[in-house]
Amino acid sequence: MRNFWLIAKHEYLKIVRQKSFLIGTLGIPVLIIVVMGVSILVALGQRGNLPLGYMDHTGILNESVTLSVPDRGKPPVAIRAFADETAAQTALEVNTIQAYYVVPADYVQSGRVQLFFLKKRPGEMAQEDFADFLRANLLADHPADVQQRMLEGSDVTFRSIDGKRELKSENVVGFIVPFVAAFFFVFAVMNAGSYMLQAVTDEKENRTIEVLVTSIRPEELIGGKAVGLMSVGLTQLGIWVLTTVIALLVAAPFVPEVQGLRIPWSFLVVAVLFFVPAYALIAGLMTAVGGMVTDLRQGQQITGILNLFFTLPFFFVALIMAKPNSPLLIVLTLFPTTAFVTITMRWAMTTVPLWQLGLSWALLVTSAVVSVWLAARIFRLGMLRYGQNLNVKTILLSLRRNGLRAER
Amino acid sequence: MTTVKVSHVSKSFGEVKAVQDVSFEVYPGEVFGLLGPNGAGKTTTIRMMLDIFRPDHGEITIFDGKLTEDKKNRIGYMPEERGLYKDLKLEPTLLFLATLKGIDEATAKARLEPWLERFDLTGFRQQKVQNLSKGMQQKAQLIATLLHDPELLVVDEPFAGLDPVNTRLVKDIIEELRQQGKTIIMSAHQMHQVEELCNRILLIDHGRNVLYGEVAQIKRDFAGNALTIEGQGDFTNLPGVLEARRHNGTWNLTLDTGVDSQDVLRAIMRQDNVKLERFEIAEPSLEDIFVTVVQRAGHEEAANA
Repeated sequence: MRNFWLIAKHEYLKIVRQKSFLIGTLGIPVLIIVVMGVSILVALGQRGNLPLGYMDHTGILNESVTLSVPDRGKPPVAIRAFADETAAQTALEVNTIQAYYVVPADYVQSGRVQLFFLKKRPGEMAQEDFADFLRANLLADHPADVQQRMLEGSDVTFRSIDGKRELKSENVVGFIVPFVAAFFFVFAVMNAGSYMLQAVTDEKENRTIEVLVTSIRPEELIGGKAVGLMSVGLTQLGIWVLTTVIALLVAAPFVPEVQGLRIPWSFLVVAVLFFVPAYALIAGLMTAVGGMVTDLRQGQQITGILNLFFTLPFFFVALIMAKPNSPLLIVLTLFPTTAFVTITMRWAMTTVPLWQLGLSWALLVTSAVVSVWLAARIFRLGMLRYGQNLNVKTILLSLRRNGLRAER
Repeated sequence: MTTVKVSHVSKSFGEVKAVQDVSFEVYPGEVFGLLGPNGAGKTTTIRMMLDIFRPDHGEITIFDGKLTEDKKNRIGYMPEERGLYKDLKLEPTLLFLATLKGIDEATAKARLEPWLERFDLTGFRQQKVQNLSKGMQQKAQLIATLLHDPELLVVDEPFAGLDPVNTRLVKDIIEELRQQGKTIIMSAHQMHQVEELCNRILLIDHGRNVLYGEVAQIKRDFAGNALTIEGQGDFTNLPGVLEARRHNGTWNLTLDTGVDSQDVLRAIMRQDNVKLERFEIAEPSLEDIFVTVVQRAGHEEAANA
């Protein structure tokens, strides 16, 4: 076991110290920070500080009508009435207002208004403020709570039929997170695959392997590498999740969409439970490929096809959205390579039955253990055929001859 | 008690018979040479000894039994195809490989210092392996083989890629290890480089045992089979001479078994235009002996065909 952990530590440090890992891992958080930063800047700039003007031809608008509208991060922009268009135009030219609306006499029938500005059109939130002002005036005769409800809209809760899970319309994160997790997973899997393949073929190419196999067992070598890589994956995931959470917390006061978000803990637990064995599975498969070929280039050609088995559920996104419990998706849920992505995407749309989760996890863990075990044997067989490619026939023949015994 | 016992071992790769019925024993505290030309089967034999390859037939024991994981820690192996992590720094690479052999990092670190100094690599410990010269990598590989203080050292072509100064250094180290009671098996295709170090040898050719035993005894057995001649004239194509090589004006003649050196002398003197300045019965080198044995085997094979 000592050598197992030594290999795991060595593999972990070797990868996390690589520039490509740092760029790949920190690149995404940097992207998140940039996106959040831009969102904050956009949100801040959307209203503008100057008031909006309007000229009313309907005679129903009252400048003093204000309502407590749903919070959009900043107090609504001030709205000023102008008696005629010339006064509004002058105010615009001397920069005391950012724009002005002309509300025609047939506004109630047509819903049309005209917006005048100089160079920069008012931000969307400023326009939204004026729309709220119009609605508030149209609802002025209704009781305050009715006005409030009309302006805020409804808060719909989507409940599954068994009542076990619910999705609130305001909690969009519960919907988005599984899809984002699926993308992250695929990204992480492809990274892991290429690291593992490189790790195994590197040692064959630079002949370190001959020294290693005379020091440790193939199982220790492969198992250690798989655990080392898994730790790399979890580190990567941890950094991404942490950055996302921090970014959301920082952005919350400025970006209204982020407010009121709740972390879907149950999903995160399931995701981690599936992520670890899925990672081990890809590590095992990539090692097997690395054990069969003599150099990295040959391995990359095969892994391209292997990656397809992990990304397959993305081809069925439409089906997942329309019929998340269809038999095909249940099959993909249970199939080890497609389990993680299918479950995460179905999670957004439906309640995945517990028996499916349990069975899928058991199959995934079993296949991960078998893949690492088999990879160690294929790797060992590759050593016996030093410098020669292995084909499937040779592997099967050898495994049958040895009765699946370990080639020590 | 034997440190290594190889009994009637064979190994084929497809149609190629790499090793055929090879047997030898290596005893504690001796330097054993596994000699033969390139492609003779030396490396395959070593790989079978170390369980990298499985033999098709035959049996191998290490320290009087099967090679176990614990026994692996008692062996230091320097493969012919040197293998170090090219993109890692020298010191961490050596420490990592040493810890895999069962010693802790602190011990490995303490042992590493004098080796780095001795091999003149102290200033390169934080350099990436790929930035070191081939000779330096070769020396680093030897440190990796020795750092865990193995009882049995298996070195495949230890002098390949080394300049004369470092070749001498490595020879000195092997001699020191022998004095410390370590068992050393080394393979080489340039026999003159190892004959002075080895107690016993196995000469191997085309995967078969050709000659096996103590170096001194083998040389005694083959004494009289080699002549050193200086003079003017043609010393090739003499009857009973398997091979005539000229080096710095001196001819080295390898005689067939049973050929009397005096018959060769008479044959030379019968020739016209010969001026003989020196005629000496030489102690044959292992290379000469190898040529004799291989050519004799070739003749026998041709005769049997």
